[in-house]
Order: sequence, then structure tokens, then C-alpha cells
Amino acid sequence: MRNTRPTPAFLVGAAIVALIAATALLSFFFTPFDPLQVNAPARLQGPSLQHWLGTDNLGRDLLSRILVGARITLLVGVVSVGIAVLIGTPVGIWAGMRRGAVEEITMRGADILLAFPALLLAIMFAAIYGASTVSAMAAIGLASVPGFARVARAGTLQVMNAEYVLAARAAAQRPVRIAARHVLPNITGMLLIQCSVTFALAVLAEAALSFLGLGTPPPVPSWGRMLQESQQYWGTFPAMALWPGLAIASAVMGFNLLGDGLRDWLDPKLGRGKA
Amino acid sequence: MQAILTARRGRRGARLAAVLAALLMLAACSAGSTGGAPVNKDKLVVALTGEPVNLDFTTTAGAAIPQAMMANVYEGLVTLDQTGAIRPLLATKWETSNMNKSYTFTLVEGATFSNGAAFEAEDVKFSIERVKSAAWLNGLKSKMDDVQDVVVNSATSVTVNLARPSQAWLYSMTTLVGAMFDPSGVDDLANNPVGTGPYKLASWARGESINLVARPDYWGTAPGIKDVSLRYFADAIATTNALSSGDVDVIYNMQAPELLSSFESNPAYQVLEGTSNGEVILSMNNKAKPFNDKRVRQAVLYAIDRKAVRDTAWNGLGTLVGGPVPPTDPYYEDLNDRYPFDPAKARALLQEAGAQDLKITFTVPTRPYATAVSEIVQSQLRDVGIDAKIASAEFPAVWLDQVFTSHDYQMSVILAVEARDLLTMFDDPNYYIGYDNSKIKDEAAAADASDEANYVEGMKNVVRTIVDDAPVDTLFIFPNISVAKAGISGLGANSVTEALNLAPIAWS
Amino acid sequence: MLVRIAGNLARFVLSLLAATLAVFALMRVLPGDPAAIAAGENATPEVVAGLAKQFGTDRPLPVQYWDWFSGLWRGDFGVSYVTRTDISPLVADKVQVSLILVTLAMALALAIAIPAGTIAAVRHNKPSGAVIAAASQLGIAVPGFLLGIVLVSFFALRLGWLPANGWVAPGVDFAGFLARLVLPVIALAGVQSAILVRYVRSAVLEVMHEDYLRTARAKGLSPLGALVRHGLRNAAIPVLTVTSVQFSALIIGAVVIERVFVIPGLGSMLLSAVGNRDLLTVQSVVMVLVAITLVVNLLVDVLYTIVDPRIRAAAQGER
Repeated sequence: MRNTRPTPAFLVGAAIVALIAATALLSFFFTPFDPLQVNAPARLQGPSLQHWLGTDNLGRDLLSRILVGARITLLVGVVSVGIAVLIGTPVGIWAGMRRGAVEEITMRGADILLAFPALLLAIMFAAIYGASTVSAMAAIGLASVPGFARVARAGTLQVMNAEYVLAARAAAQRPVRIAARHVLPNITGMLLIQCSVTFALAVLAEAALSFLGLGTPPPVPSWGRMLQESQQYWGTFPAMALWPGLAIASAVMGFNLLGDGLRDWLDPKLGRGKA
Repeated sequence: MQAILTARRGRRGARLAAVLAALLMLAACSAGSTGGAPVNKDKLVVALTGEPVNLDFTTTAGAAIPQAMMANVYEGLVTLDQTGAIRPLLATKWETSNMNKSYTFTLVEGATFSNGAAFEAEDVKFSIERVKSAAWLNGLKSKMDDVQDVVVNSATSVTVNLARPSQAWLYSMTTLVGAMFDPSGVDDLANNPVGTGPYKLASWARGESINLVARPDYWGTAPGIKDVSLRYFADAIATTNALSSGDVDVIYNMQAPELLSSFESNPAYQVLEGTSNGEVILSMNNKAKPFNDKRVRQAVLYAIDRKAVRDTAWNGLGTLVGGPVPPTDPYYEDLNDRYPFDPAKARALLQEAGAQDLKITFTVPTRPYATAVSEIVQSQLRDVGIDAKIASAEFPAVWLDQVFTSHDYQMSVILAVEARDLLTMFDDPNYYIGYDNSKIKDEAAAADASDEANYVEGMKNVVRTIVDDAPVDTLFIFPNISVAKAGISGLGANSVTEALNLAPIAWS
Repeated sequence: MLVRIAGNLARFVLSLLAATLAVFALMRVLPGDPAAIAAGENATPEVVAGLAKQFGTDRPLPVQYWDWFSGLWRGDFGVSYVTRTDISPLVADKVQVSLILVTLAMALALAIAIPAGTIAAVRHNKPSGAVIAAASQLGIAVPGFLLGIVLVSFFALRLGWLPANGWVAPGVDFAGFLARLVLPVIALAGVQSAILVRYVRSAVLEVMHEDYLRTARAKGLSPLGALVRHGLRNAAIPVLTVTSVQFSALIIGAVVIERVFVIPGLGSMLLSAVGNRDLLTVQSVVMVLVAITLVVNLLVDVLYTIVDPRIRAAAQGER
């Protein structure tokens, strides 16, 4: 029943994500201008041969800032997803394998943590440690832990009843070995889908935080902050808002499509719905 | 079957659309009707940013409280006019004697507090002595340190004796430390202010607005508008949106100069651009490396093109002065030529000081002006070889804690709003700037103790000495920008006091 | 069943307890003495010490926690260090504002998402289904605040149809109240409905392949007819789960929307309290937001127990 070819959604998503990653990488070696170089006489210019996307209120090159901004977007996504995967997955697998009190306690813990959404945690963290990319990533990562724990647990529960796992358990293999050899490989697909969706949420959360002035502080160009800085110029110079807005929307869409595509591709049950 | 289904779905969709449209129409009509209604001349809504946390400036710092309360609810014996000159208020006149050490005030007759109590000389004694007591927790209370005693001569005459002659003391009396209180009205100042002013507090919807109502029993000229609502917004963009859609009548002390253009070209609005007491100061920690070296500080002043900073960060609004004194202060002079923009000279000074390839941290409070300024300053400093790393500090809490209290910073930028704060900033080596005041201490004290003319001359000397040492770079004087509907008159363009004086405002 | 509901309640109480501890522990790591912050720029150490005593922040942390905690059960959040007023009545006031906003937004989001998601599922291989799916994909990708700003620029500033921001109590001016709600509710619901459409669509798709639906269709019912008669009830369960999860997301999303539209709800209160370092208020508002989420979870749990105890596990497996 499994679809053998990736869906168009997957391909489009993967293409967008690859483009963003390439952009971020490129920005380490080359940007048309220094993204931080203020150039007062050249402020608020429209697109030109020199500045392809125009300049912002301080005369900085918008294209260069968008390119470098991709780094922050990826950084926030990768680190927060990383935190969530590294904490959530083992906890979820453990809960699914041990069952009983361990499962009850960890899942209740996840439920409580779920009552602290990323943005709320991030606002609290910003209040405590000040606004920074680090506290934003920590908050988003921590808030995404329950999602991974649940997915990992649900996957583990399914796998644990499979014959090969039962055989391994009968052979008295160590739980860590079972987890690594049998459980993890079988839930990787589900985890990848969750990664992709969480990544999209992280990009949105970072944008909202930067908009509130609680995200990446200046002068580092993050897309969310570029959007926030553009607010005064909506009436007179919408291009300043257009590009970061487009960048955020396409990044979120890219990761969501990637996740959906993965799901359709890997999940036979939903694949049937597509057929 | 398919057709029936489609039809049914179509009907349902149409119904939903109709409901939504009706809602929108309803909303649109009601919005239109409030917008098109004739102006109610008894009402005024003023948009401000930064709501007071409570109404008690005797125990709580922050500019928002006196902005709303002083001149409107509270009054002092004296006040300032729009040019910055001292004028009578609750005192009709005053005389100095004993070589400027004693001030005798003659009080107005018939003034009352909003709780009905009469304003008399005893209240002056009570108010001034209260500043000196433990009841006042605002750090500004030190402005009354020089007061030795207060003597009540009669119900309308009172003498204040100072420990030493002071010109500056009378000026302090125009600020919040000079506010007059009634002994029976100080129980709950945070929520229930009682003063002699033209307005009293009608209600306070926290998170929304402070509503003031004119007092029918006010002793002076009745205010032009009966009901004034001070509505608080999170940012400047929200204030201009509200003005555009007619929800507010005035934006005072507007913080987004880029948004002015649409109002300037529209005859339905007036834009007032005045000056203020606020200096946007690039402060350096004079006690810590690398800015403990005068040459490095001077290099910073040469490296920064203050005109470009103002033009880019604040849309060309604000006054360039070259020293930490606003033009409305009596000892102001134009010092723009002292440190012209000269990157070559900056580099030479840095080399002389052995401070090439400097790496510093630039602690920037989270305020619109600070963020805007910091990115240009950073870029200009980089041109002379100073690599400033911007570290954002939440304002007020983190900035106060880190920079102001702990002095844990190298460079920062702040809008110093307090009036006549020259000596507060520079005549105290323990202030966060850490300026070594040994050169100015005596001259400043002598000036304060002398007569008016010598006071001004002496203070000008003090300013020159300070600017020569370059403890800070005064980037520009913050403009006081107000946008009002065209029919409004009496709104003071300049912000020379800490108050937004509402009483003169009226609809024409 | 009563036992199960009692179990739900007990777990809710335990969660709430754990949440109070977590919130308190987190908030008290704040740098900066609340007293020093309240005292402001020109304070002397004596002034700061006086304030610390007045606030009670000079006492040991467990004592402060107990003080706060015991107040919570009486619905008393204490007196803010900064505003010097009771927090509870303020919170009670702001909660209403936020709940009105969030509930209306959720209702609108569901009103859009359920029909749209169902159509998208039924016609999933026709253009109209694809259009809805694509639109929802786009809707999810737009940050809510961006949608809000666009709505303000267009409907309030350019067309002048609606007020740009603000809030009027319904009792004071009902038309004005509604007018000011339209844009923020649309901004909040827009993104939310895009998310919900996806869940409704996949839940309906799931149900469409169940055997009883095939049977129903074999009996001559149209796809939609069969779905409405037999399928929607089953599709409703995962949607209900998602709705409860999204409700808490919506409450937090409202923080940002309240900022854009200057709505005096819990979000605005939270952000200004963060700015003023009004510790106790931040603590209280966070606690209320968390408690609302936990209450919604409890309600859904109880609902599940009443409908069918076995369903919960199945619905959870879906996520």
C-alpha cells in the first residue's frame, strides 16, 4: 500500500527548504552588500540594478539582509527542533517501553508543559533572561518537547507489539538496545514529520517574538524583526515589509509542505486516502 | 442528487455570506457614524505611549506619572512657561532674602484641593517636609535636601529657608518635588490623587485610559475642555492608526517621526514640532576600559556624524546642540563646532591612545529611538575601527539594573528626560557615567550660590569643561512631536516641564 | 464513569499544582530586585530596602511562594509591587476581554473550517478541494500579526470602514464594541481556520473510507449525505481534540493580536507587566493563561469519558 514516489507537495516543500538552506549557506560567503552597513543617503530606495530588492530605512541592502536573515531562521529552527528531539524522543520511547507509572508521569508532565505554548514560554524567558535568540530557541524547543514525546510514545506503543520486538524482548535484550535497534528506526518517519511541522512553528514563533521586540535583538537581521522595523513604512514604502513577509511565509509553507509530503509518502493509512 | 446537493450548499453559503455582510455593514455604519458625528467640544482624547504603573510619583519613578498628573491634578507654587522661564502658579509672587538663602512665597487665595480642603501655607509646609521624610521614595527627593526649614508666616505666606544659597532650588520647585499635597489627601496616592489642579481623576481603566474631569471649583481659569481621556497605546503606530480612524484627537510626544508625512500633507490635522528637555545621549563608562581614556572618548565624538544619526534615525527631527544642555535651559549654548565629524582625527586619536581595533559592547535599551540610533552609531564606529557589539537590554528593568545601577556596561544610549539634569549626570562620580567631577564641582557650587547672571555664566563654563572631557556624546535633543486634529488649539508644542498641560487646550 | 471523571479532576488539580510551582520557580529567577526596579533611577539603597520590606520580597522564597499560593485558592493574586493595586479584579476584567475575543475567533474559525474541510475532503481530487487545501497551506504560513496589520491598513486606514484599534465595553457602546471586534477576530480566526481545515479534511478523509460509509453509499446515499448521516460524528472526535489544543494556541496568539489592535486583554496586560517588571502580575497572568488551558483540557477529557472512554486513546494515537 505504501506510495513509492514522493508526492508533489514533498517535492515543492523540499525545494523551498533546500533553497532557504542554500541561501543561508551562500550568505556566509557572499552577500551583495554588508547587511549591517548603514548608508543614510541611500535609504528607502526601490529595487535597482545595484540593490535588487531595494534598501531599508537605514539604507541597508534588503537582499543582503534577507539572505543573512535565512541563517537566523534556520538557526532558530534547527536548535529548537534539536532540543525538542533530543529531549522528547528518549522520554517518549522510555514512556512507551516502560508503561505504567513512568508512562503516566512523563505523559502528565508533557501535558503540563503543553499548557505553556512556545510563545508564552518565550515571553517568560525574555522577561527572565532578556530578549535574545538563545532564550527564544530554548523556549520554542522546550515547548515542542511534548509533541515529540507523544509521537515517540505512540510510535513505540505500536512497535512494541511487533513480532520482532517481542522476539528481542524474549531474548532478554537490553531495553536500550531494543530502543536503538528496533524502535528508533521504525519511528524515524513519524519523527521526521514532526520535525518538519515543528520547524514551521518555530519560524512563526520567532517572527511573532521579534515582532513583540522579544526575539533576536538588533542589529542581526532576522526576518521577524525586519518586518517589525518596517511597520512605520507600510504606508510609504511597503517593499520593506513585503520581502521579509514573503520570506517568512514561504519558509513556513516549505516546511509544512515537506511535512505533509513526508506524511503522505510514509504513512500508508493516509496514502490510501490520497489514492 | 448532485444538483440538489449543490443547490443546498449554495443556499447555505449564501446565507453565511449574508450574515457576514450584515455584520460588516453594521460595523461599518457604526464606525462611520462615530467618525462623522459633530465634534463634542467638551471631550478630548489624547493618545500617549507608556501608561503609568500607578499615579504616585512620590514613591514611583518614571516619566508617565508626572506627565499625566502634574499641572493637571497637582500644582506647584511655581511653574515654567513654554520658553522655560519660571512663572507664578500657586504662589502669586516670591522674594528672596538672606543672600538667596530664604524664599518667601505669597500664596493665591481661594485655592482648594479636589477633596474640598482649602490650600493654605500649612499645606506648603506639609508638602515640602513630606518630600524630606521617609514617605517619599522617589530618588528625586534629593532636590529638597537643601531645605533647612519651612516657616508659616500666615495663611497665605510661607518662608522656605535653605542651608545654602541656591538658584537651582526654585527651579526644582517647578517639578514634581514641588507638588502641593493636602495632609488629608495622601492616603492612597497610587490610585486616588488629590491636588489643587484644574482637573481631578474621574476614572482609570487600567491598560486603557486615565479619565480626567474638570473641577468646577478650580481657583484659576477654567480649563478649555471638560472631559479629557488620556488613552495609552503600546506603540506609536497604534496611535497614528487611532488618530487616522478618528478614535483619538491628539497624539502627544509621538515616537515615530516617519509616520508624520501623511498628517503633514492633510489639512484635517496639525503637526506641532517642539523641543523637549530630553537629550539623546551616547553614554560611555568613564571609569572602565576603554572609555576611561579621554582620547578614546573624544575619538568617538569625532567618529560620529550626529547630523546623519538624527536625519536617519529620527527623520531629521530634533535639535543638534553638541552638549548635554537643551536650548530651553538658561545656560545653553551651541557647541556643535567643538567636535565636528572627522573620522581621520578619530582614527589618529585612537592610535595615539593605543586603542586600534577596539571591541566593545554597546548596551541598547529596547526603545524605538535607541534601536534606531544604535545601528547607525555602530556602523559609523566601525568606520574608524571600533567594533561595537550591540546587546539589547529590556527597558526599563534590565537597563536600569545593568547599566544604571550596576554600571556594568561600556557604551549605551539613553534619552535623558529629566529637566536640568546636567549636574545630576556629571557632578556625581558615582553616577553611571562615572565622570570625574573634580574640575567642575566647585565652579558648579559657586554658580548655584551666586546671582542669576553669574549663575548662567558659571554654568556655561561648567558645560564647556564637561564637553571638553567628552564623557558622553549628546547626539541630539529629542523633538516633542504632537499631531492633533485641526480644530484643536492651546496644545503646547514644547515639552519644557514633565507635564502635559491640558488646561489651555480647547476646540475652536 | 464517575471514577474516571474523578480521576480526571484529580489529575487536573495535580497539574495545576505543578504549574504553580513551575511558574513561581521560573519567575523568581528574574534578574533585578523588584524593589530596585520600582524605586527607579535615582534611588538610594535605603529607599530600595524600604520598598523590599514593603513588598515582602526580602523574605525567604518558600514563604513568598506559600503566600502567593494560598492566595491563589482564594482567588487573590495579591497586590502588585508596581501598580500598588489588587491584581485580581484587573485580571478578572481582562480575562473577559480575552475570552470574548478568543471564543468568537474560535467560533468563526470552526464555522469556516468545518464546511471548508469537509468540502476539501469530499472533493479532494477535484479542483475546488485542491484550492481549499492550497489556501489553508497559505493561511498557515502567514503570521497572525501580519494578517492583522494588513487588515488594519486596508479596511481601517485605506477604506475607513472600521476602527483601526481599541476596545469599547459592550455595555457602553454595543455597535462600537462589535465594530472593534471584527478585524481582530478575523485576524485570529484566519490563521486558526487554516490550521483546522487541515484536521477536518484529514479526519473526514479517514472516515470516508470506513466500511459503514461504503455500506451507506451502496444503499444509494450520496457521498456527502452518507457523510452527514453517519460519518461526521466520528470525524468530530479528532476535530474536538485539535480544537482543544488549538484553543490554548489561540489564547497565546491573542497576546500578539491584542498588541496589534490595542485590546486591553490578558495579553496586553502580560506584555506591559513584562516591560514594567511587574513580577507578581506576570506570574498571575501566566498562571491564568495556563489554568485556562488546563481547564479546557479537563473539559475535553470529561467529554471523552462521557462519550466513550475508549475513544481517547484512539484519538491520541492519531496525533
